[in-house]
Amino acid sequence: MIPGKYRSVSGRATNNVNCGLHLVIQTSSLPEKNKVEFRLNKETSSFPGRLLQHDLERNYSSRQGDHINLVSSSMPSFPILQRSSEEKILYSDRLTLERQKLTVCPVIDGEEHLRLLNFQHNFITRIQNISNLQRLIFLDLYDNQIEEISGLSTLRSLRVLLLGKNRIKKISNLENLKSLDVLDLHGNQITKIENVNHLCALRVLNLARNLLSHVDNLTGLDSLTELNLRHNQITFVRDVDNLPCLQRLFLSFNNISNFESVCCLADSASLSDITFDGNPIAQESWYKHTVLQNMMQLRQLDMKRVTEEERRMASLVAKKEEEKKRESHKQSLLKEKKRLTINNVARKWDLQQHRVTSIATNQDRKDTDSPSQDSCQMDGSTISAFPEETGPLDPVLTNALQGLSVTDTHLVEVEGDTLSLYGSGALESLDRNWSVQTAGMVTTVSFTFIEFDEIVQVLPKLKMKFPNSLHLKFKETNLVMLQQFNALAQLRRIDQLTIDPQGNPVVNFTLWKYYVLFRLSHFSMQKINGTEVTQNDMIMAERLFGILAHVASSELPQYRVISILGDARKKQFRYLQETKGKKPGIVNEENNDSKRLVGENTNRAMLNYTTRDFYNEKLEEIKEKKKFCQMYIEDLVKEATEINKKNEALQKLWPQMFIELVRDAVIEIRSKNSYMKLCLQQITDQK
Amino acid sequence: MLKLGSYPGQRMLSPERLALPDYDYLAQRHVLTYMEDAVCQLLENKEDISQYGIARFFTEYFNSVCQGTHILFREFSFIQATPHNRASFLRAFWRCFRTVGKNGDLLTMKEYHCLLQLLCPDFPLELTQKAARIVLMDDAMDCLMSFSDFLFAFQIQFYYSEFLESVAAIYQDLLSGKNPNTVIVPTSSSGQHRQRPAVGEASLPEGVEASLFSQCLENLCDRHKYSCPPPALVKEVLSNVQRLTFYGFLMALSKHHGINQALGALPDRGDLMHDPAMDEELERLVMRSRLHRTSRQHRATEPGAFGFQRRDKLEAPENMLSASAPTPYPYRWEPRE
Repeated sequence: MIPGKYRSVSGRATNNVNCGLHLVIQTSSLPEKNKVEFRLNKETSSFPGRLLQHDLERNYSSRQGDHINLVSSSMPSFPILQRSSEEKILYSDRLTLERQKLTVCPVIDGEEHLRLLNFQHNFITRIQNISNLQRLIFLDLYDNQIEEISGLSTLRSLRVLLLGKNRIKKISNLENLKSLDVLDLHGNQITKIENVNHLCALRVLNLARNLLSHVDNLTGLDSLTELNLRHNQITFVRDVDNLPCLQRLFLSFNNISNFESVCCLADSASLSDITFDGNPIAQESWYKHTVLQNMMQLRQLDMKRVTEEERRMASLVAKKEEEKKRESHKQSLLKEKKRLTINNVARKWDLQQHRVTSIATNQDRKDTDSPSQDSCQMDGSTISAFPEETGPLDPVLTNALQGLSVTDTHLVEVEGDTLSLYGSGALESLDRNWSVQTAGMVTTVSFTFIEFDEIVQVLPKLKMKFPNSLHLKFKETNLVMLQQFNALAQLRRIDQLTIDPQGNPVVNFTLWKYYVLFRLSHFSMQKINGTEVTQNDMIMAERLFGILAHVASSELPQYRVISILGDARKKQFRYLQETKGKKPGIVNEENNDSKRLVGENTNRAMLNYTTRDFYNEKLEEIKEKKKFCQMYIEDLVKEATEINKKNEALQKLWPQMFIELVRDAVIEIRSKNSYMKLCLQQITDQK
Repeated sequence: MLKLGSYPGQRMLSPERLALPDYDYLAQRHVLTYMEDAVCQLLENKEDISQYGIARFFTEYFNSVCQGTHILFREFSFIQATPHNRASFLRAFWRCFRTVGKNGDLLTMKEYHCLLQLLCPDFPLELTQKAARIVLMDDAMDCLMSFSDFLFAFQIQFYYSEFLESVAAIYQDLLSGKNPNTVIVPTSSSGQHRQRPAVGEASLPEGVEASLFSQCLENLCDRHKYSCPPPALVKEVLSNVQRLTFYGFLMALSKHHGINQALGALPDRGDLMHDPAMDEELERLVMRSRLHRTSRQHRATEPGAFGFQRRDKLEAPENMLSASAPTPYPYRWEPRE
């Protein structure tokens, strides 16, 4: 079908008897004429012919007038066309051979002035015998059986070439048609746009209903205003931005599914009218505003005018999408980093747990550190994104993940109400200045890949900085002894406790839950490992371990009670003093706090936990004292035994000594006179 | 170091005792250990103790030694130091965790070790393992054990650990055909002896001959004067069987009433779960905790809803809570040697 402008205003073929054909062509690039008229008359003429002529006469004489004379030529298959001289004069520049059941192009003699030639609705398979019509401007071969473009090389003046509804497989042999204004190749079997780059006068190119799978190679078409590519299989479009005059582009009913495949359209400043209907892209939710956003110059989309409102909406939506995409990209990046870090921490933890050959594992650790450093793209520097440090943030960002510092060796993350710590290095993050809001929101604290003994040491800090933490989770923290749970008693309150079996052997013990309930009974825990705590559980716990507490509190001598309590308090104060410096005010506060706790649970408070290292430290310290005590006691014993020996010796010797004493005394007093003299002498000697 | 005396089983004021040279006496009674420990404790807790006087401290200290509470939460080296300490520890363990046994739970070796660690943080695992081996006859070490089985085996292992080591050595010698007492053994048994290595590994399940073993042990008891089970009882154990294995022997020791009584730390096996004073106290605690909890949570519960042996529950519910003052120590425990 040729475009409406060029369609002939005529009746149907059967009515050609009466009316003439009236073909109007309007071309603006034709300087000479505005109209080229073409009329057929009913003049008859007879031809002596051969076989074909006979056929032709038979065929045509019934329907049309014998106004066309086809004579046989010297070549057996080509009829020769001759018109009466009257016709020639009347319609010297136009010739219609529509529906003449022509299978070949006839030779047209003596019509060198012909400007318009119409071969519509025939069965012509090849373009031939028109090379002599060098003034031809309009050639219509619509609805034939032409398989190849050829025989046009002499028609240098040709402006309109209508080859729609043929069987053309390839665009070719158009080299000399430099004046071509309209090229209609719709309804063919063309698979590729080629050999049109020289057609710099071409304004309309119709390639609808072909087999095109992509559009490119459009350079050189400097005048092209309209390009019709409807009903093809086009998946991407290129080179359109090289068409400086292109205003209308029809891509309906193709296979375009995203805007990237037609992105060159965005760069075309001249485009004002575009259609995409019937493509997969038109079904997408983002279709309209994406197109409008990328092609601000458009006036019509899918044959509908583009309003300002639509344009505004489009840009808004596009911006939002951009934001979202950026956000999700950032988040996925963060997530990836987090995952890598956690893997790294896990690996380190495993190495730590299975520390057999230190040298080998050290090397391993070095090796595993470097690739992960590369992949993480960080060199131990922290990336912090505290809400209070960055400026006002998008609501989208604050609602989502609030990732904090991520390094190779540990990970700290606050996600809503959960604070997650991975790796022992993460414990240092508790020293940071957390905003009151963030810290207040945290109700769950999760520890992974950290030794429980290390966690115990920062529990006072945790208590201070995150006062609302009610749920503690431990995974891979090396909880092995029931006694370790004693350390949790120093917190203010725990509602829920989750001990993941992975990495915590203590969970294998049947009575661990009861012990926890017993020791931390003053917290009145609601849940342990997800299961509710019932009254019966509490009673059972009390039954199992109540005597232990009773013994611990009532049967220990007073000095032990004081020393144990004092120890616990001393430990807490040590950490407080380290962080805050010696402020007596605060110390007193803590004193009251712990006193209150102790008052709640006198009998439980005896059950403490000192970390293994701390315990061994203490034992080491005591060794010195023990040695001293040993020596001291030895000295005492020595003294005592000496005294004892002397005593015993005295006991043995005493009778003898006594007798001698008495004998000496009696001998002295025997002679009164000499004794009196002796006494006097003694007195005088004293002076 | 100090030469040990050689007078077993003495009474308070027996002439032999008084005739001991001073150092020997002190060493035998471990007086010095306690003195040293007392002074050490004093040094450690100077500031706290100076509040209420040194005399009072010493009184309390030695009182607690007599009562057997001095070993609570102390380090393992101290607990192991004297037989009296060991016995006190055994008794404390029994009293504190009798309820666990009463509840009927069977626990693994590791779990018992956990419980031990609650009382002594650095208690070594090997001892618990050895005790478990006695119960389980050196078989699957992950098996569950009942409280009484474990406790009695643990008693033997812990109290007589040095003795048991020597016995193990002797047993190994006997198994491998060497006789440590070649001089004393009559020629007839030495013939038997020489046959044994031919049998070799196949005889392991059968162990060693009881009479021979018994004689070796007798000699051992004569030589080792500290913590040795009464030789008469040992002989009794060995006289009942022809042959026995090492762990069979230990198991027999642990089950023997006489030895348990001679040790004096634990009650008889039948009475193991029986401690009315403590049960009373426990009921009081449970009652208090229940009230405490219901006042916080407004939840009513049914007492007696759990399958639990309650032998001594008779007066407990009527004994409503008095003040939270701890009850005075109900009875004193006399240490025996």
